[in-house]
Amino acid sequence: MMSHELLDVRDLKKYYPVTAGFLSRHIGDIKAVDGVSFHVREHEILGLVGESGCGKSTLGRTILRLEEPTSGEVLHRGTDIAKLGKRELRELRKEMQIILQDPDASLDPRMTVGDSICEPLTIHNIGDEKERTERVAELMEQVGLEAAQATHHPHEFSGGQKQRVGIARALAINPKLIIADEPVSALDVSIQAQILNLMMDIQQEFGLAYLFIAHDLSVIKHMAHRVAVMYLGKIAELASKPELFQNPLHPYTEALLSAVPSVKPKGKERILLHGDVPSPLNPPPGCHFHPRCHRVLPSCSRKEPELAEISQGHFVACHLCDAGDL
Amino acid sequence: MTRRLRDIARKVGRPLYVNRRLVNYYWERTRRNKLAVVGLAFILFLILLGAVGPFFTLDPTLVDFEQKNLPPVGFTTLKSVYDIETDELATSEVRGIWTHPLGTDSKGRDMLAMIVSGARVSLLVGLIASGIAIVLGTIVGVLSAYLGGWADNVMMRFTDIMMTFPFFLLLVLIVFIFGPRLVFIVLAIGLTGWTGTARLVRSESLSLRTREFVMAARAMGASDGRIIFRHLVPNVVSLIIVIATLSIPGVILAEAALSFIGLGDPTVASWGIILEAGQHSLDTAWWVAVEPGIMLFLTVLAFNFLGDGLRDAFDPKSNI
Repeated sequence: MMSHELLDVRDLKKYYPVTAGFLSRHIGDIKAVDGVSFHVREHEILGLVGESGCGKSTLGRTILRLEEPTSGEVLHRGTDIAKLGKRELRELRKEMQIILQDPDASLDPRMTVGDSICEPLTIHNIGDEKERTERVAELMEQVGLEAAQATHHPHEFSGGQKQRVGIARALAINPKLIIADEPVSALDVSIQAQILNLMMDIQQEFGLAYLFIAHDLSVIKHMAHRVAVMYLGKIAELASKPELFQNPLHPYTEALLSAVPSVKPKGKERILLHGDVPSPLNPPPGCHFHPRCHRVLPSCSRKEPELAEISQGHFVACHLCDAGDL
Repeated sequence: MTRRLRDIARKVGRPLYVNRRLVNYYWERTRRNKLAVVGLAFILFLILLGAVGPFFTLDPTLVDFEQKNLPPVGFTTLKSVYDIETDELATSEVRGIWTHPLGTDSKGRDMLAMIVSGARVSLLVGLIASGIAIVLGTIVGVLSAYLGGWADNVMMRFTDIMMTFPFFLLLVLIVFIFGPRLVFIVLAIGLTGWTGTARLVRSESLSLRTREFVMAARAMGASDGRIIFRHLVPNVVSLIIVIATLSIPGVILAEAALSFIGLGDPTVASWGIILEAGQHSLDTAWWVAVEPGIMLFLTVLAFNFLGDGLRDAFDPKSNI
């Protein structure tokens, strides 16, 4: 089992201290990621969904140590990334790459796209100038761009093309895991499908694993093998895609699923959530979801539910499931 | 060491130097501002004048009392000569001659030659002192923004102190201590003039630092040095060019002002020095002060026009 797990995240926390007043008194923490555990297997696409502000992006960045974790472990093939020194971390960066949300902001406007794609090779000193140029041309063709466009600058490209450049750059050093932080949410719907298909093809071709972050369940449904649902810094439910979509156990997942547009409405009633995600600085007591939950129990505001394995590979953090109420 | 520096310079300069399309784009935008083009033309003319002019003019240090206080061509003045025989003041009219098209000063030195060699001095002073100030300011600004935390605090508070320090007093002090040598004047202006640049570059870098391409670079494993030199600095180059064109005239004026109050380097004929010499003979030879004054005025104006034009050209939000 161990050998199949590319990434194993254990009780990861990322708190941002909040200070106030002249003396910067510590008045609390924003618990952006609050004790998250999951794993990603090789060649697997794990979808991570949740509303904006639930900590999905922070989770992705903390795993890559672009943010320093507050506590917890991020094991990459058994090595704890959170404890690596600078040099070892740089070596490990060859294994994991990130694709960012905003293709406009994720490319240096002053660099040619060829230089941008080449940058990881330069940083890790891979190949000589000629080999790098060839590699860049090869990568650009793999992501559906023309090699001749390497000398162009990002502002000469469309959003979809820029995202292709971002993908090519992430692929350059042959990583095994790519964290895709909402890679299509800034794109037009028509372009989204192209990029998603490209990412699927690449995943097949290079045997990649993705941690695919999105706020759109239909995107996740298209891509993922397993799905984790996040709410306010915690995982609410985690299951294989068919299981999650057919048998959602957490009321929050139910609500999200009912919001997915469908060509054939099944007559299922839409569950409307009221209000916003509460502030992660001051989350509600007990289950963080209870003020918005349509199936709230009296115990929900008192005790926080633990993430428990209800059936094989299906994890839920909800009191409805403890009670055997379903 | 020099190879490393050259490498860095190439990387930093590269975005504008390699990228012809981008240069063309900015040139097209700058060109639409007619005043900026005029300014640029004048600056190029000055550079040419300073570089090759001295080979074509007379020796600016050649003293000839026979020819003193000649007016520029096309002007006349009255010259009074005391005649010992008759004990009378004979007044005669003096015309400018083509040997000295801009006239001569009270020692008979050729004004054209002095203006031309003064152009060289003033431009060098402007470029070198601004260069020092901008390099320092960029380093402090980028580092401050990138490192953040206490390093940022220390550097910015130091900048504040430098800013509140009366800069002119410091210059006077330095000249007083080290003597009126041009090198010290240039160094003093450079070493005190970086504060504004540091602040501007810092604020620009602060917003760049949080951009996603910097995060992507970190995810690739880029070192801090690489992020600073390949991502932050190239993206503030346009800002730096604008600051430079706007700070050069300030420096030229500062040197002139120092010279004017008698703290300039008397061995080098900068425009300020000529101006200072001319102020004593305004009633007999007004052109000695007016000519370098006009040159200073035009130079400062040209740099300001160009700076304004570049600022608009580099600002993608301005519609020009």
